[in-house]
Amino acid sequence: MKFISVAIKDFKELIRDRRGLFMILFFPMFFMIIFGIVYGNMGQTNETYNLAVVNLDEGAKMPLTNEEVNFGDNLTEIFRDSEYEDSDVKLFNVVNTSESSANKLIQLKEADAMIVIPKNFSQTIVDKMEDSIATQITGTTSSNNNDTLKLIISGDSSSMGFGVSQVVLIKIIGKYQDNLVANIQSQTSGSSVEPLKLFEGDVESVSGTESFSQFDFLAPGMMLFAILLLATTVAASLTREVEKGTLARLRISKMRSFDMLFGALIPWSLVAAIQVLILLTVALIMGFNWQGGLNSIVLAMFIGVIGGIGSIALGMIIASFAKNDTQAFNLGIMVVVPTSFVVGAFFQLPQVVIGEIMGRSFQIYDILPWTHILNALKSVLIYGNGLSAITYDLAWSAVLTAIIFVIGMGLFSRFRLSVEN
Amino acid sequence: MVNEFIIEANNLFKSFGDFVAVDNLNLKIKKGEVFGFLGPNGAGKTTSIKMMVGLLRPTGGQILVDGQDIAHADRLKIGICPQDIVLWESLTCKESLKFMGEMYEVPNDVLKIRVERLLEDLLLMDKANTLVSNLSGGMKRRLNLAMALIHSPDIVVLDEPSEGLDPQSRRVLWNFIRSLRDKEGKTVILTTHLMDEADGLSDRIAIIDHGKLLRLDTPKNLKNAFGDGDIVEIHLADSKMNQEVIFRLKTMESIDSVTEVDGKINIRTLNAVGKLPEIMSKVQGMNIEIADLSLHPNTLEDVFIELTGTSLRE
Repeated sequence: MKFISVAIKDFKELIRDRRGLFMILFFPMFFMIIFGIVYGNMGQTNETYNLAVVNLDEGAKMPLTNEEVNFGDNLTEIFRDSEYEDSDVKLFNVVNTSESSANKLIQLKEADAMIVIPKNFSQTIVDKMEDSIATQITGTTSSNNNDTLKLIISGDSSSMGFGVSQVVLIKIIGKYQDNLVANIQSQTSGSSVEPLKLFEGDVESVSGTESFSQFDFLAPGMMLFAILLLATTVAASLTREVEKGTLARLRISKMRSFDMLFGALIPWSLVAAIQVLILLTVALIMGFNWQGGLNSIVLAMFIGVIGGIGSIALGMIIASFAKNDTQAFNLGIMVVVPTSFVVGAFFQLPQVVIGEIMGRSFQIYDILPWTHILNALKSVLIYGNGLSAITYDLAWSAVLTAIIFVIGMGLFSRFRLSVEN
Repeated sequence: MVNEFIIEANNLFKSFGDFVAVDNLNLKIKKGEVFGFLGPNGAGKTTSIKMMVGLLRPTGGQILVDGQDIAHADRLKIGICPQDIVLWESLTCKESLKFMGEMYEVPNDVLKIRVERLLEDLLLMDKANTLVSNLSGGMKRRLNLAMALIHSPDIVVLDEPSEGLDPQSRRVLWNFIRSLRDKEGKTVILTTHLMDEADGLSDRIAIIDHGKLLRLDTPKNLKNAFGDGDIVEIHLADSKMNQEVIFRLKTMESIDSVTEVDGKINIRTLNAVGKLPEIMSKVQGMNIEIADLSLHPNTLEDVFIELTGTSLRE
């Protein structure tokens, strides 16, 4: 278990180098503060978002009156007419379209979000009404039509427009459902014993009605940037071991590459997790609309650790080629900054889809684990999603991180830990 | 049959591009001896040592450690104290030794005793819990040595161990090296610039220059081989005349050798006192002023100069 000794040694070195530790943990904090000040109020203006509505609802006949209704059309009109509070600015610019066209609009960034209303939308509501009426008359509950409807909301999860649209749509749908229930209950003259659930959004409800600012979408990116910056510090630290000769001392001992690199992984992963925590705290102080609970912090720290391992592996690759710690630092910056842009830490680059995997488009940037790390962080922190919603991104980031780690370990062992030629 | 030699270098060759650092080096180091490695800077000492401990791959030749090829040799057998101070500045003395011991898989109970003993032997006990960054240069150097010994290797390689040490620390080190050989039976390979260190500590000395082994013998034999005589050192007022004087002195049959070293004329001869008048009259006959003149018995340094044509500190 020599890797534990290496981890303890690295950990001691890390915490005793107060200046270095301060730089690692607090340098990204200043970025977060500056971004919070600059972008904290940006995007809070009443902007109208483009919404593609795919209304497949075939309508139904109302019980008692036999009147033809189409709740899908009704909901679409509500989307169209909804306005910002205390303002006459419309929330959405609604376009009725087909599912394929809606997807295209999302890809072309001409729509911020799309919502699919299923064909049995009205019929299901009517069935629920009939059940409710029957319950009132006979006093028994029908077992039919217990299914709740799914209104699928989708869009580019990395865009701020989608984030805001999603929150507002959920809000409108929730209100629409409440009104319908009240309506049905009043029609059936009396109050229902159990609350009637007609449908729900596919995306979990987001609490609060705060308007999102651009900072909300930048904060996870800043966390990722901090995690990526670890590559620079790790590279400089490993190169220092080479430069000072301590690595040569270890090389002639019984230590193996695995012990050294896996040992280094433990304290640095811890730093990544702490970084996420510190940056989240700073972001909250700066007005970040954090949507998750306490478990989302744990989840975000876990995501941070995976991202951190990827950065450590990247640091190993850099340290395999750098001749001294200054060169490692410079080389690290040259790699980390473009990578941050590529994975969308600051803004989303144009979409470059290279294929489709598990029903999702796979972009060229998706070959880097940090793209998935960022998606997962956004999903957890901005949208308040849980583990199940980020499984796809988490799995990808874990696989890609493992690949980079193997490459990093291979290169470092070959160039730094084997007998010199 | 027990192998008498613990390290054998056979036709050891190392080149970096066109530059030949070690040129067909052949030597055998006996078990339990202090083996001195002497040579001017760039002679190939450190390169040879690096190959002997398995840090550098030879271009050609073979190194055997206790009869086994270096690539498969037991790493526990060798401990190296590098020329530079190679320590983790943020660890304490005790932590450094403990960590290094763990890297050599020394059992915990043994390690604990060994750490205490090394700290005591190298006068570092009161600094056991002091961070390396807060140690003096001499203390760091002693800890540097302790790090090479934590796994109790059979072979201890010391690359310029006295560099930067004050005379007191140097004495501590020398006594310690002697005790390694005498009390623990370890083989010590030593490279040094200090002639008195090599002379006083080494059982045998290899003189190496331009990657080649020039001589390998005991200090006594080396000095004898180059005459029991004396060295006369003449410093001319005008050093431009050195070569002319050397040319004239070489005609004297009773003189063994005349060379120019560090701007001075170096004459080796038996019974120098008796020959001094003749030498003086030759120089004065050329109307050349002598600024300084000294006479001393032949030393290892003179042997070295004789062999390499240069002084050690060049």
